[in-house]
Amino acid sequence: MNEAADTSPAQDSAPFRHLHPLSIILKSLSMIGRNIVAVAVLHFSLFDQNIAYTMLAALALVALVTGVTTLIWSRFTYQVTEREIRIKSGLLNRNNRSIPFDRIQDVSLEQKLPHRLLRLATVALETGSGGGEDGQLEALTRSDAEELRDTIRDYKAGRNVDSRRSIEEHATEEAPPLFAMDNRRIFIAGLFNFSFVLLAILGALAQNLDFLLPGDFFDPRNWFNALSNQKIIDGLSFWMRVAGVLGAIFSLIIVGFVSGIIRTFIREYGFRLDRVDSGQAGFRRRRGLFTLTDMVMPIHRVQAAIIQTGPVRQRYGWYHLKFKSLAGDASGETDHSAAPCATGPEIDTILGQCNISPPAEDVEFHPVNPALWWRRAILICFASAALAAVTASAVHPAFSTLLLLAIPVSFILFLNWRQHQYALSDGQLVVRSGWWRRRLTVLPLSKIQTVDVGQTPWDHPLDLATIIIGIAGGSAIAPLTIRAIGLDRASDLRRQLLSRTDSRPTSG
Amino acid sequence: MAKHASNSSSSDPATAPDSVLSPRYNQGLTPLHPPHENLLRTQMILRALILLILASVAETLIYMHHEMPAGLVLVPAAVIAFLTVAILPHRIYRRWGYDMGDAQLRVLRGYLWRTDTIVPFNRIQHIDVAQGPLQRFFGLSTLIVHTAGTHNSIVTLPGLATADAEEMRDTIKGHIRQDMI
Repeated sequence: MNEAADTSPAQDSAPFRHLHPLSIILKSLSMIGRNIVAVAVLHFSLFDQNIAYTMLAALALVALVTGVTTLIWSRFTYQVTEREIRIKSGLLNRNNRSIPFDRIQDVSLEQKLPHRLLRLATVALETGSGGGEDGQLEALTRSDAEELRDTIRDYKAGRNVDSRRSIEEHATEEAPPLFAMDNRRIFIAGLFNFSFVLLAILGALAQNLDFLLPGDFFDPRNWFNALSNQKIIDGLSFWMRVAGVLGAIFSLIIVGFVSGIIRTFIREYGFRLDRVDSGQAGFRRRRGLFTLTDMVMPIHRVQAAIIQTGPVRQRYGWYHLKFKSLAGDASGETDHSAAPCATGPEIDTILGQCNISPPAEDVEFHPVNPALWWRRAILICFASAALAAVTASAVHPAFSTLLLLAIPVSFILFLNWRQHQYALSDGQLVVRSGWWRRRLTVLPLSKIQTVDVGQTPWDHPLDLATIIIGIAGGSAIAPLTIRAIGLDRASDLRRQLLSRTDSRPTSG
Repeated sequence: MAKHASNSSSSDPATAPDSVLSPRYNQGLTPLHPPHENLLRTQMILRALILLILASVAETLIYMHHEMPAGLVLVPAAVIAFLTVAILPHRIYRRWGYDMGDAQLRVLRGYLWRTDTIVPFNRIQHIDVAQGPLQRFFGLSTLIVHTAGTHNSIVTLPGLATADAEEMRDTIKGHIRQDMI
């Protein structure tokens, strides 16, 4: 399978190189940082706050970590030949990996804050074989890292090594970016990124630092005692209590917005998307406040475009453009974010750069069978009726109002059904889904890998089917699906979907 | 749902003899190699044995500790075991079907949970022909094709005669092109 594995022995002459020595310090520091909590815990527990023992333990930790890291560093070498990169690693289990340039999907440079101060960068090579990065070179000098990326890119473009120009001199100075976000735009993106992660972080901090708090801080009985002793709440008037509750809700919402904005700033600061044409045409994305990432994704690897929005966001005309590519984005996202907060025309411009055309205004979308919502709504009604009946008879008659829950849920199901539509135009399949998290997937038919037509037991009486389309890349948990369409229509649609894959190969 | 399935079975022996399957079960696609039904039956027998062992353990435990009529667990388990061995293999077998088109492979399986997959040949990255110990006994092989997709990237087609599976592999191999994505 790996036709590039038969590298000629002449290429083996390229030297084996180590990572930058400073990486030892960086890695040791991060490992010590992770273990310092353990030492602190020891200081308070086993060592009985004896500072001498603690210092000794800390010294031992530092020596151990530094020693091991140095050993690992000395055993980690890489070699860049003309057609592949080889990485030898491992202390006891030696691992010898070779990654042919042909198989590398995209190359990204990442600079965490300490790396930036020392002008180092981490190179991550993705081959799209699933399961994270396949080759990671931590801590090369920034120039080495860029050179490596350029070597790979030039190889893939089939160009001579001598004639290459650095991506830097080519792209950054000339040509305005394809898409960039200023601080105002990032702020807007943050507003829609409402999240309670800050609360979670505070909670986690409190958990980890609980040795600083009084011993029974987390014992709820203390709090109950404190509350009932005070009797303050009883003294308050009704409206004061309502105001208190409202205030609590309001402050929660504020926390949600603020943490969303902070998170967005940390991730998207200085967002800039360029088109690079030297070598293979590709998108280059740079972003990050503390951790700077610099990723280049070849345009022909783009499998599909996803345009996400929400009911409020769409009202104000903001969309999030993502690309499905064979390799997932770093930081656990399955799709490559190409424009986190862009207007419709801006998205059209970006899409115009790759071979995906935004769906035209007059494209007629086909709705799916309404059974999609009423089947589930009936189920929800029965479930909530059963729940209401049981709780009302067992606990309190007031619980029968649980039945009312079925109304909003059914309504949301109805709205979701109304959003779920598909269209076939221009050799592209366009699928729209979700009412709250609106997703518009644009998939060129030539990128389809497999098509499934599935039926579940409750599909048989209505003769409905679900179409699942296999695309290279993206998440395996949530593949592109068209739900609840008639079996005949499904077979028909499948024939049309596969018409492009039969006749000719894709643009390779 | 189960009633629906049993209806079709009652009419089955009358309309179609065992060797010639009625096309309505698998939409007229190529059926699997007939020994596959025996393989399924063997697998079901093994599973039924495990079920019976577990049931008899449970039965003894209950019988020792409670005043219970005998056979409360064992009898239903035996019924289930008999049904799975006697009825299921044929029903599973006849719902399988595949079709080697000019440029695509179609695999149909299941009834209640039916899946109908089409893989274009030029999307296939690599192919396996696999054979387990039981399959070897029956002279069967499984054809496994891998695509680059993340959903359903591995499409398996069990129950092929080994020679057929190898022939299909060679046919498909001619369509594989390098670096499709």
